[in-house]
Amino acid sequence: MLLELKNIFKWVNSGGNRVFLLKDINLQVEEGAFISIMGLSGSGKSTMLNVLGMLDTFDEGEYLFNEQPVHQLKEKHRSRLFKENMGFVFQAYHLIDELTVYENIETPLLYKKIKSSERKALVSDMLDRFNIVGKKDLFPAQLSGGQQQLVGVARALVSKPKLLLADEPTGNLNSKQGEEIMELFKQLNQEGVTIVQVTHSEKNAAYGSQIIELLDGRVISR
Amino acid sequence: MIKNYFKIALRNLWKDKTFTGLNILGLTVAFTVAILLSIYALFELSYDRFHKNVDSIYHIYASEQTPDGPGVSTAKPIPFADALQREVPGVEKITKYMGGNVLITHGNKELRMEAAYVDPDFFSIFSFPVIKGNKQHLIEDQSSIVITEKTAKILFGEENALGRTVNILQQGQQRPYTISSILEDIPAQSTMRFNLALNFKNQSDFVYADNIGNWEKSNHSVYLKLSEGVVPTQFEKATRDFTALHYKDDIKDFKRDGIQPDKNGQYIQQRLLGYKDIHFATEKNGNADTSRLYPFLILGIAFLVLFIASANFINMSIAKSAGRLREIGMRKTLGASKAQLFFQFWGESVLIYFMSALIGIVLANLLLGQFQTIFRTSAAFGNVISPSIVIAFFIGVMVITLISGGYPSLLMTKLSTIQSLKGKLEVTGKNRLRDGLLILQFGITILLISGTLVLWDQLEYMRNKDVGFNKEQVIAFPLNGKREDAQAIQLMRNELADTPGIVNITASNNILGLGKDGTSSTSAMGFDYKGRGVKTNILIVDHDYTETLDLEIIKGRSFSRDFKSDSLGLIINQAMADQLQEKDPLQTQIILFDSINYSVLGVVKDFNFQGFDKSIEPLTLFLNPKWNMRNVYVKVSGNNPLQSMSRIEQAWAKIEPNAEFLGSFLDENIDRTLTRERLMTTMIGSGSILAVILSCVGLFAMSLLVVTQRRKEIGIRKVVGASVSTITLLLTKEFLKLVLIAFLIATPIAWWFTSQWLQGYVYRIDLSVLTFLLAGGIVLVIAIATISTKTIGAATQNPVKSLRTE
Ligand SMILES: Nc1ncnc2c1ncn2[C@@H]1O[C@H](COP(=O)(O)OP(=O)(O)O)[C@@H](O)[C@H]1O
Ligand SMILES: [Mg+2]
Repeated sequence: MLLELKNIFKWVNSGGNRVFLLKDINLQVEEGAFISIMGLSGSGKSTMLNVLGMLDTFDEGEYLFNEQPVHQLKEKHRSRLFKENMGFVFQAYHLIDELTVYENIETPLLYKKIKSSERKALVSDMLDRFNIVGKKDLFPAQLSGGQQQLVGVARALVSKPKLLLADEPTGNLNSKQGEEIMELFKQLNQEGVTIVQVTHSEKNAAYGSQIIELLDGRVISR
Repeated sequence: MIKNYFKIALRNLWKDKTFTGLNILGLTVAFTVAILLSIYALFELSYDRFHKNVDSIYHIYASEQTPDGPGVSTAKPIPFADALQREVPGVEKITKYMGGNVLITHGNKELRMEAAYVDPDFFSIFSFPVIKGNKQHLIEDQSSIVITEKTAKILFGEENALGRTVNILQQGQQRPYTISSILEDIPAQSTMRFNLALNFKNQSDFVYADNIGNWEKSNHSVYLKLSEGVVPTQFEKATRDFTALHYKDDIKDFKRDGIQPDKNGQYIQQRLLGYKDIHFATEKNGNADTSRLYPFLILGIAFLVLFIASANFINMSIAKSAGRLREIGMRKTLGASKAQLFFQFWGESVLIYFMSALIGIVLANLLLGQFQTIFRTSAAFGNVISPSIVIAFFIGVMVITLISGGYPSLLMTKLSTIQSLKGKLEVTGKNRLRDGLLILQFGITILLISGTLVLWDQLEYMRNKDVGFNKEQVIAFPLNGKREDAQAIQLMRNELADTPGIVNITASNNILGLGKDGTSSTSAMGFDYKGRGVKTNILIVDHDYTETLDLEIIKGRSFSRDFKSDSLGLIINQAMADQLQEKDPLQTQIILFDSINYSVLGVVKDFNFQGFDKSIEPLTLFLNPKWNMRNVYVKVSGNNPLQSMSRIEQAWAKIEPNAEFLGSFLDENIDRTLTRERLMTTMIGSGSILAVILSCVGLFAMSLLVVTQRRKEIGIRKVVGASVSTITLLLTKEFLKLVLIAFLIATPIAWWFTSQWLQGYVYRIDLSVLTFLLAGGIVLVIAIATISTKTIGAATQNPVKSLRTE
């Protein structure tokens, strides 16, 4: 078992009332799984993904990652766990505008304090793999949306994470570009990367081996 | 990693050229000025610190009780120094000191130079290192002279000066001296300045030889080094018996005149002034009052200027940080820790700061020459720099960047990843900080401007004050003492006799104001009149003195060539007349110098014969054309005074071909006494101009941001029918409110400071609300002009355009 959410609740206080963002979420993610999360806009998909990715906290429940209770870990320990295991892909790409393609992909490695020579090799691998060697010195603004997302995925994968979290990765792409990304995910999954993605599209959701549907912060079907 | 930070920092700075430019510009200017001002202040503060013993060297002076309260007297009688060392324990070394101008000749070179007459211990008390010649026993024999390296250059050029002989004019004779040692040039930060040093015993007889053992006549200063462990206040107490013994006659007179002793029962109290404080000391109530306010004020201005630029930096950084939030969130999801992010963003400010500081240092170096000229200082990097100063500067810059760069970084990095990814900066109180900083900036600016205006007013007031004599049409210059003064004056009279434009010629022993040679002088004496002690300043004058200077005789008459007996006549000023307490001062007879009977011929209206910030003291004028009359006064007619000046110069050149002509109009002499005030006005003035500019740079940046941020709002308002003027007002109001608050806060503070400062002047302006309103008005107008450039532009924009771009 890679990770497990047990009875997770998350809420915000609004005018003295608790507004629940997540209600009693239970989820088990096996190593090598490919899970798609679906649901209406505002149903809590992003919130759940962020909790999974340790970007956001929750108010009640347990979160085990590799058998370790994340909610009890110290900040430092948790951030190491995060650094070593997670890769993120966003709908809005979220590349750093001031860095080139190459530098964007390199950044996570810098934070992991990987040596320069090794860094070079890893980034080159990614550039090769995604066929963007020729674009490595361009800045994000000079790329199309599909290419930017490709860079986003490459950057998420460069540090070889166990778990790839993707929040509507195809949301800003046309269908052909979206399909390419999905094919890529499929391939990655076959290579052993565990993937949790949020998507609106049934077609994209079908790439996953399991679909979870959220409504008002609650899992309504799996 | 560092490389990555560096790259992104540079790219970010480059991307936002306007703000980077404004920031670097502001900070660079601020650093340049702050560095120059700091050099100046540090230079002032390091005065006399080069003496190794500076902490145990003291100037001994006396607080004397007088009918007008306690006064300071620094002059000591000849036996004083030796007796003090012998009779009061704790004196390790002691020296007499008397400065003076001497005429030194070598070959056909003939120069006026500053001489120091001292005892041999002088050189082991003070640190004026010998670079050539005898290092141990300086001026111990009375035929040797010690000169500085610069003097050696002037006299001998590149030739070896050691062992050579020079002549010095003393008591009308050329006396030869052998150069025994050459001193390192006197550091710029030395209060004591001289070209050459001679044994005190070489002083003219009327100073030294005639007064050996005489406690009645005081004429020189005494410096001493206390033995280790001796506490100055204890030492001062220990001198009381000594004073009681040697000054018993004076003390008896004080008692007879009913003068009140000080709280310790002392009429004369010897006091020590630490040599390290000498540059900062002024007299106050019979005590030396040490104040380093001026250099610290300058440092304060340097700091304020940096503060204003830094406040701009903080405001711009925070305002711009919203644009960087996504990057921060992104980096967090890529594994960056808070600390790493903090250092990245802080690093960017460090980069800007060090870039500005570096350019600032370069610019300061380039401007140093002009700075030195304007502020009449020899302060330079070379004479203040030291490892500790460099380290302090470095740490200072780091601390400033830590605050001004660190705070915005902290704001940004402390947000949660999700918040930052959403790109929303939900920091409460953000505008409060911005407003607070803007208020502070404008408050400081208004403070400095009103300070400048008050200083300026006071300066002009003092310059234009009626000093009681004609300062516009009188040229004064010093004689060089080569000839008998009376002879030189007579030659001048002959030379200028029928010269058009020359009205009158006279001379006196003391100069009015501060002469072109940088000297000023007063003489004073005390005598008993009808059983009371009377003190008066004295002025020895030639004929035509009152006429040349247009002094107003309010009673009696002036000196006249028609009465031979006028050499036993006196002219007194009103203050002196008041002191004599006679119904008719013209009936007054005064017995002076044991038995000579002088009578008062006339009373002259009070005029400022001393400093122009002092009240006018009693003054007595003696007529004695044969006396030492070092200062010639020439009254010229109002038309073409400059031509008259050159005629006088030519005449002087005829009489003394080798001598320099140091003539200046008396109003220039008065101006010279106001150097300190003028410097302060210029410093605070330039500080305030800078503060205005920098504050406006900040205000401009803020209005630029607000206008961009509120573009949509402006568009909507226009669509619903708001006029250009209401929108401009809406945008401008927000900032003008801040200037107004700044004005309300700063004005009372400025009022307090300036009124405190004015207390130090006897003749001072009355503070007027108008001055402060003017300062506030200036700032307000400039602020409006600054903001309007952006707000009017925004208000006149086509609303459709601004709505579309949102
Ligand atoms: N920090 C927060 N405070 C208040 N409401 C929040 C917060 N975060 C998310 N929400 C609300 O929770 C709901 C779920 O949001 P989100 O997870 O982004 O939905 P989805 O990604 O499924 O569209 C939304 O209604 C959103 O407005
Ligand atoms: Mg979402």
